[in-house]
Amino acid sequence: MEFDETLDCKGLSCPMPIIKLAKAMKKMPSGKVLQMIGTDPGSKEDVPKWCSKTGNQLLGTADEDGANIFYIRKA
Amino acid sequence: MSNEEIESENNATVEEKAEVMPVEPTPEVVVEPQEKGIFDELYATLFGKSWAMWLGCIILSVLSIGLYMIISPWGSSGGILSWGQNMFDIVGIGLTNSAPNGVTSLLDNRYGMLSITMLIGAMGASLMAKEFAVRVPPKGEMAKGLLGGILMGIGAIIGMGCTIGQFYSGWPALSGGALVFVLCLFIGVFIAVKYLLWEMENHPGLSSGKSCTFLAAKTKGSSLQPLAGVIVLAIGAALMFLYDGATEQVLIGFVLIGLMIGFVLQRSRFCIVRTLRETFLTGDSEPTQGLIAGILVGMFGFTLIKILGIGDPFSMVAFNFWVPAIVGGVIFGLGMTIAGGCTVGSTWRAGEGHVKLWLALVGLVISLPLTAEYIKPAFLDMLPASMQEQMFLPDTFGYGGSICLMLLILTLWYVFVKWNEKTGRLTAL
Repeated sequence: MEFDETLDCKGLSCPMPIIKLAKAMKKMPSGKVLQMIGTDPGSKEDVPKWCSKTGNQLLGTADEDGANIFYIRKA
Repeated sequence: MSNEEIESENNATVEEKAEVMPVEPTPEVVVEPQEKGIFDELYATLFGKSWAMWLGCIILSVLSIGLYMIISPWGSSGGILSWGQNMFDIVGIGLTNSAPNGVTSLLDNRYGMLSITMLIGAMGASLMAKEFAVRVPPKGEMAKGLLGGILMGIGAIIGMGCTIGQFYSGWPALSGGALVFVLCLFIGVFIAVKYLLWEMENHPGLSSGKSCTFLAAKTKGSSLQPLAGVIVLAIGAALMFLYDGATEQVLIGFVLIGLMIGFVLQRSRFCIVRTLRETFLTGDSEPTQGLIAGILVGMFGFTLIKILGIGDPFSMVAFNFWVPAIVGGVIFGLGMTIAGGCTVGSTWRAGEGHVKLWLALVGLVISLPLTAEYIKPAFLDMLPASMQEQMFLPDTFGYGGSICLMLLILTLWYVFVKWNEKTGRLTAL
């Protein structure tokens, strides 16, 4: 999947991934896509929830050997 | 790492751009065989997704009622205190104030064993779900884990309990001190959330930088993790053979129930920090609803145990009303939010492999015994007796009145989180 920026949250545990994600999304222009990579199993539920709450669009997710990858389009 | 590099690995769909892709969770894992066996179904139910918080909370309350029927309800910081006291004892540092008759050996301390088996249970569950991995965070995060653990240790000793003893068990036990403790937890959480947001703006380096992950399960192909999980759980259960079945049933009960608690904690990602913190971050009300459901079940069971005279009615009702509860609550709230897990949250996350929470446990193991030895006696001496009372709500309001009061508090809390979720009045993200 194509993306414009990437955010590394590997090794971080709750709540740091969401705080970082919120900060990174704030800076991005509308319509751009962020790729977020994390290793906290909690993110699998937290990121979709946060996206639906904030109106940003979760385009897709993927798993890669312990890492969870999320693609999010800024609203 | 270049964008192109990763892109080339994930270029399954190139022609989209205008068309919006639907969310497809984990598209790569859909290589299942045609027929799904009955055990695959069971596996997917138990380990495919995290359990809802309310489900976890209700099971945890039932297990806590089980512990209370054996002798006393679920607690967490007392267990880690026992780890610490034993460690100081082995190293040869005598703690004469806090353990005048010598330190109880870890094997004979039911809460110490409960904390050990909670960790083992969580580790087994995370392995079975293929969620275990040793996750080493950036250095700044490790420092926050340690600092958070140290603060939690101070708060738990001064406040006479943690978010389990003074909240998850303390509220159903109808303790007035526990109500004060939680109110003050909120203050600590609020300050620490402000700090985390400030840190993210002004010192982003603390939470970024080198990190690494070991032993994670491979996404494709089979993994040894589920098998390892079964072995870990079996070893945990085998700890009961350390005890004499005729005379040490209490310890056997705590070992086995601790294992189940750890398992449920990991599967439901039970988190009291999250419950309180989301009020100020995302406003998510789901954890609070789950916690309220658990407290209601606990209150029903605990009250029955008290009225029927099965257990000590004052269990988990500490002499902390009101000054120790205030001071301990604020400090504990600060610590758990900085660490990202309360005592029990740190325990199960340590089992899942988060090195930040290993350091939180190290902080707790050091600060719990030292606070009990050096700070607590001086602190309590300073306070008049009227400021460190055991406040058992039924003594003032009767059982009926106390339960009505708790129902009122829980209802107000529910309305408050729902209002906050809708309006975003207190949320930052």
